[in-house]
Amino acid sequence: MTGALFAQSLVLGILLGGLYALLAAGLTLYFGVMRVVMIAHSAFLILAAYLAWFFHERSGLDPLLSLVITVPLFFVVGYGMQRFLVSRLRPISLTTMSVLLTFAVALTIEGLLGFVWTGTQRRVQLPYSGTSLEVFGVSIAVVKLIAFALAALSLGALYLILRKTSFGRALRATTQHPEAARLVGIDTDRVAGLGFGLGLATAAIGGTALALDYTIYPSLHWHWIGPLMAIIVVGGLGSIPGAAIAAMLLGVAASLLQVPLGTTWAQTVFYLALFVTLMIRPQGFFGGRLAQRF
Amino acid sequence: MRATRRLTVAAIAATTALTLSACLASPDEGNTQDGGSAGPDDPIVIGVSLPLTGDFAEPGKGVQRGYEAWAAHVNANGGLLGRQVELIIVDDQSNADRVASDYERLINQDGVDLVFGPFSTRLVVPAAQVAQDYGFLFVEPAGAAAEVFEQGFDNLFYAAPAIADDHYDHLAEYVLALPEDERPKTVAVASMDDPFAQGTAYGLRDKLADAGIEVVEDEVYPPNTTDFSGIAAKIADSDADLLIVGSQYQDGVNLVVALQQQGYQPDMAAISGAPTNAEFPAAIGDKTEGILAPTGYTPTAPYPSNEEFVEAYTAEHGTPPAEDEANAWTTGQVVAAAVEAVGCADPSPECQQQLVDWLHENEVETVVGTLSWDAQGRPQSAHLIQQYVDGEITIVLPEDVKEADIIHPKPEW
Repeated sequence: MTGALFAQSLVLGILLGGLYALLAAGLTLYFGVMRVVMIAHSAFLILAAYLAWFFHERSGLDPLLSLVITVPLFFVVGYGMQRFLVSRLRPISLTTMSVLLTFAVALTIEGLLGFVWTGTQRRVQLPYSGTSLEVFGVSIAVVKLIAFALAALSLGALYLILRKTSFGRALRATTQHPEAARLVGIDTDRVAGLGFGLGLATAAIGGTALALDYTIYPSLHWHWIGPLMAIIVVGGLGSIPGAAIAAMLLGVAASLLQVPLGTTWAQTVFYLALFVTLMIRPQGFFGGRLAQRF
Repeated sequence: MRATRRLTVAAIAATTALTLSACLASPDEGNTQDGGSAGPDDPIVIGVSLPLTGDFAEPGKGVQRGYEAWAAHVNANGGLLGRQVELIIVDDQSNADRVASDYERLINQDGVDLVFGPFSTRLVVPAAQVAQDYGFLFVEPAGAAAEVFEQGFDNLFYAAPAIADDHYDHLAEYVLALPEDERPKTVAVASMDDPFAQGTAYGLRDKLADAGIEVVEDEVYPPNTTDFSGIAAKIADSDADLLIVGSQYQDGVNLVVALQQQGYQPDMAAISGAPTNAEFPAAIGDKTEGILAPTGYTPTAPYPSNEEFVEAYTAEHGTPPAEDEANAWTTGQVVAAAVEAVGCADPSPECQQQLVDWLHENEVETVVGTLSWDAQGRPQSAHLIQQYVDGEITIVLPEDVKEADIIHPKPEW
């Protein structure tokens, strides 16, 4: 491996890891707040990508502007989905039943995307699609840089919301001990709904970032959910910083391993990490007390 | 009470009568379709099983449109041997077990005079086996994989210009004929893990490697790959003169964009799959100039019967035909040429054997060029090579049918 190729792969891994971090943060948030395994997270991701593409196709404006519509929309949809669908599941079997429920939602979204926009593969064509910046001999694609910046900003915002606002404190209290949270007067149902909305809003941002650089089609979400699920287990279920760190490490590892191993084997790094985690540290490498309860 | 009983009796009587008449009617119908007693006014019946539902439904329907357009065209022009042609098309649901029983039934019960092949390798092999057992000629529109020709069939003919390995033959000849200083010295290859994509890409790679051009990068990626930046980084790092990609669609588009992002500029880019897709220029924008791709069929190909085909097809469907339709039409042309030359079209082993023998010894002029076959039914031509010239995909090789001169080296993308 030449030095230039190593540097290039490292940068690509960091850029990809950033996007993974944002997407995994949403996924781990649902689990942390409600013990829900949200299989449909990546289907919403592709839905947001389609909306960004459709917005660009119709208006001719930059697909990033579609965020103004999709982020509030997804927040509301997420809130509604939690209050009217997920919360109707019986608490005792919530985690397993949520897999079935969200699996059905994922299939529904995939089917509707195919119905409305057909299975034809779509791509947002922008003047800066193939443009890149040259930094110390490493090419950084503008679209990937935008996606990374979006992910970093959103993760930062998510961190501030959870740490600095009273809603964030209520959400974390609900995550850590729902009964105690109710005892101190937190409306945990409402907080759970808002938390779900927050998670889905990250899917809107991630999907728009995805639309900038990928060819999209209705069944694309199945390629994303596997690595994302592996990331949140490695990071410790429910831990947002854990998910972000695991996403970054695994993204960089996959990118670097691709050079000696090729594409087929590099993809297995996510699942190898998953197996190793389950064998030696089932609560995850970065999870706190919450994760240890599961 | 009595009324009810009367109704019951009437119902039973009616059912019996219907059943009896159905039983009596069917042998008569069987007789009229029997090939042995066919008179000069009876239609030539051609049996086909196609995947009209299931995995291959989309291409299967394309082949159906091609067969039906061919039959309508033949009938409008006086038929075959002065007889009209009639197609019996049944649906095999993309199922390899059904396709075999479909052809059994077409040959045994429906008494068809000729058969045409189904779509795709997986269905062609079992169907060809049945045709072989009954001594039928078997011309097929879509079964290009190597295994089709390794089953020992001597009645099979693939009605297309070339099998996958030979798609790039015209380009390989062109590259190897370039003067020493213009000829690429290194080549980078990336292909989807798929027999068809790999067959095409590796056909060119191996021909160039045999001539001493160095393969500096050789990547295979699984069909579900969506992030191509890692592969692009390796290819860009190799800085190969010539790029070969074996793609389907989204993988080809994503790889080209990823290569552009990393500033890789090859002298020649040969990409099978994606570029011949109508969506490609919309996805890549104005950076397609100079990209090369092999194609089995294009409506603009200047073969004599192609204009006739495009005109007849467009008049009926409003859009020009695509490759599936063209290969179906080609199948019709190949069988028709044999039938006209031999002068028979019936299910007897003598007639079918004469048709098979004739095709082994002769060339047929079709919408995809002049075809001839080896003993296993492999067509002996190569695909046309197209290139994006002034934003339009244009035939540049071979010399005798080109629409524009090939651009080399490729402009920067």
